[in-house]
Amino acid sequence: MEHKKSAKIILQARGLSKHYGGVVALDAVDLDLHEGEVLAIVGDNGAGKSTLVKALTGAIAKTSGTIMIDGREIRIDSPADAKAAGMETVYQDLALVNEISITKNMFLGREIVKDNLLGKLFGTLDFPKMDAKIQVLFKKLDIRITDIYRDAEAFSGGQRQAVALAKTVMFGKRIAILDEPTAALGVRESKMAMDLVCSLKDHGLSVIMITHNMQHVLNHCDRVIVMRLGKVAAVCDVADVDGDMLVGLITGTIDKKVESKC
Amino acid sequence: MLNQKSSEFVAVPQAKTNGWEILRYQFMQIWQVLAALLIIYAVFFILSPAFRNVDTLLSIFSQGAILAVLACGTTVVLISGGLDLSVGSIFAVVGVVVGVLIKEYQLAYPLAILGALAAGTCLGALNGVIQVVTKVPAFIVTLGGLTAYKGLAELLGSGKDLSRFPEGFQMLGSGYLAPICIMVGAAVLTGLFLTKTRLGNHAFAIGGNEEVARLSGVKVARSRIYYYMIGGMFAATAAILEVSKLNFAQSSRGVSYELFAIAAVVIGGTSLFGGRGSVGKTIIGMMIMQTIIVGLAYLGVGTSFQRIAIGTIIILAVYWDVWRRQPR
Repeated sequence: MEHKKSAKIILQARGLSKHYGGVVALDAVDLDLHEGEVLAIVGDNGAGKSTLVKALTGAIAKTSGTIMIDGREIRIDSPADAKAAGMETVYQDLALVNEISITKNMFLGREIVKDNLLGKLFGTLDFPKMDAKIQVLFKKLDIRITDIYRDAEAFSGGQRQAVALAKTVMFGKRIAILDEPTAALGVRESKMAMDLVCSLKDHGLSVIMITHNMQHVLNHCDRVIVMRLGKVAAVCDVADVDGDMLVGLITGTIDKKVESKC
Repeated sequence: MLNQKSSEFVAVPQAKTNGWEILRYQFMQIWQVLAALLIIYAVFFILSPAFRNVDTLLSIFSQGAILAVLACGTTVVLISGGLDLSVGSIFAVVGVVVGVLIKEYQLAYPLAILGALAAGTCLGALNGVIQVVTKVPAFIVTLGGLTAYKGLAELLGSGKDLSRFPEGFQMLGSGYLAPICIMVGAAVLTGLFLTKTRLGNHAFAIGGNEEVARLSGVKVARSRIYYYMIGGMFAATAAILEVSKLNFAQSSRGVSYELFAIAAVVIGGTSLFGGRGSVGKTIIGMMIMQTIIVGLAYLGVGTSFQRIAIGTIIILAVYWDVWRRQPR
């Protein structure tokens, strides 16, 4: 879990802003993600956490700001651009389509087409190949869902979250971005989901995670960005803070900007 | 360390992903409508002696065939969370177009058929493009299309004698065999499209949750246009069949066919809210409707009461869909 101060910066955002008419939802936010770390984003409701993630991943059009990967500026105007750049995102409540099977959900938008004439002409799908890939991955992640032909609706919140996280392992080349991966989960399921989040790191992904759970920040994350009223209130190494301090920063009772040492 | 993780994600009993299991799962989705059809057929079988013969059964199929072809397209559009009220008017336009192409332009009928299919597909595409570009809801755009295309059909067909077509063309829609074969063909093609292809699978995803589909990188707008094109193409196919069967074309045909098609889709159990359904259900739904219409006619019930019966069944079918979706 020890964070290396010298790790290189994989994702960099500068001056990200999002205005809705006169309302400033996101105000010139800077963000650095180091290779191999788990970066938490915390803040009160309406602090701009989800807006930040959505602007970062092309789910909403940002008003201004630049995004760099490996120091090179890239254009991200749509979720597809973000995926092409190696960012895989699990949006809160928008991870799976209830009406379609686990297989179809896992490969939605990136289906494997049959490697023959039918596939080229009509886009016929290679379900056996997709099923096999999922089964290998689920085994590796120890997700015990076998009836992947069932609709996503049939599964519990924890199982659905596991599938969504597995999707980031399957396709996330470098960066996984998670909007409250444990929201609406019970205590046990929540722990399982967090274990899975940690294993993303073992699979070579750098992780950005929005959360309301201070224990998760302190136990599983390397650094934390505190958001308040659309701005970054503080960036800290998790080793330098405790729960009370984080709460103080979130609510604004502590206003001192805690500078990260990196 | 990985192996001790997430083992609590198990809640559903272990099942195998083999073909038999999946087949059983698919049968579970469809057995209720199938049972409903058999029960309804059995009721008329018992009540009416005249109903008990193969000819009646065949006429149920062949009468339903034209509307069933139309309903194949409606199935795709409804699964994708869309709605197309204009297919009845597209039907009218295409009927006139095929007539004009054969009679006025003296085109060989296979070419006329291709031209008519293209016309239907274009009108469907127009529905889709207007929705995607203007963001006006499907209901309004296709309601506008319902009236506008009707006007177009009248303009194209006014003052023309569009009847007495070549013999080869008449073969398509006459008798039992040809319409039933075309219906089965249309259903199989639609079924393969919906279950086997990428675009077909995206219809379920977009109808189920458009936002998730968009965030997953599905090209939602472009796909939607394709679904309306398919709707238009099947409306055209149905129109060609009817012109062939009646041996004349008229701009007044196709009135409220869109409602019959939607009714068949919904009775079959495809969700009016998108994301769920199958073309097999639609065919069964159409057969349920036709069985009731023909059966009531055999019992001497007038068309007015038949309409009331169909209307009631549509509401019950949607109520069943709503009831099934409520968390219990």
